[in-house]
Amino acid sequence: MRRDLAHISEQALIDRLILGDPAAREFLYDRYAAALYGVVLQLVPVKDRASDVMVRVFTWVYLNIKSYQTSGYKTLFAWLLRKTREMAIKEAIPEGSLIGTELIRNEEGVLQRFYVRLPTAEQQVFRLCYFRGLSTTTIARMMAISEGQVNEILEAAMKAFRKFLSDTWN
Amino acid sequence: MELKFYIESGIIESYVLGLVSEAEAEEFQLMRKLYPELETEIEVVERRIERAAFDEAVLPPAEVKDRVMQSFRWEGNGAGAGFGGATADPPPNYTFINIQPKDGDQITVHKNWRLFFIFVVLLAKILLFFAIFYFLKYAQVKEEQKKTGLYYHPSSITVSQVSK
Repeated sequence: MRRDLAHISEQALIDRLILGDPAAREFLYDRYAAALYGVVLQLVPVKDRASDVMVRVFTWVYLNIKSYQTSGYKTLFAWLLRKTREMAIKEAIPEGSLIGTELIRNEEGVLQRFYVRLPTAEQQVFRLCYFRGLSTTTIARMMAISEGQVNEILEAAMKAFRKFLSDTWN
Repeated sequence: MELKFYIESGIIESYVLGLVSEAEAEEFQLMRKLYPELETEIEVVERRIERAAFDEAVLPPAEVKDRVMQSFRWEGNGAGAGFGGATADPPPNYTFINIQPKDGDQITVHKNWRLFFIFVVLLAKILLFFAIFYFLKYAQVKEEQKKTGLYYHPSSITVSQVSK
């Protein structure tokens, strides 16, 4: 971690990234790579491919840092996380093996702790949605229920997720 | 009250994670405009998710960092524009190979010139067509005049008509 940047504010960091400052780029990597890598591994549990995703994410971020300001996100990390998940999902889905179970190898993760407590249907919808990035239409087709039902189930799961988050990290 | 209900539905979490549909995203942006206090709650949620993610951070292999740094070093020092010249990096440890054709032998122009070029060629063809067409017409008229022995020059008509 670069000591000269240790106390830089998020806005100052972004300004320096926009200018293409290599020190700022390194700092961004050092600060966020590990947290993002944890997320990527859950979505792409294969080391080489997870590494590829990381390289792609950071290369994209350095080139498109300006779009953060218009993204509607309040924190840099949330924006990075969103992009990371998007890219990881693109890498992860081998078409034709879309099964709601056996998606995750890490049984200890935060999200696992969350969804094991959910009723089966909520669990399945949440996993297909978060880990596979499937639309509610697709999920409805897979589970042979209506899209309205999927939306209801997902909303129940997200309600529970909100409660889980605020209970654990408040 | 409506806002509280909206927040409790977990919509912010869905939005932050990128799980919302397009319609929901639009509605969310509308709600943000209507209720600016939503912004504080969004930030709270983002921070929570950040802390959750940091709790299970995994250090990526060192090779990843090398690749990331390498990829932008190329872009930063190579053809080089785009980033305000703020790349005060140590000298690059690679050889820069210029694959552009030899200077002065070739030029590169903007692709809009293609349209212009096509237009000019078409215009030239049209003008050429008229040139030939009127030349033939002219030759034909001259031929006829020769046959009838009638010469008329515009000025001669006027003069003869006036004199009558």
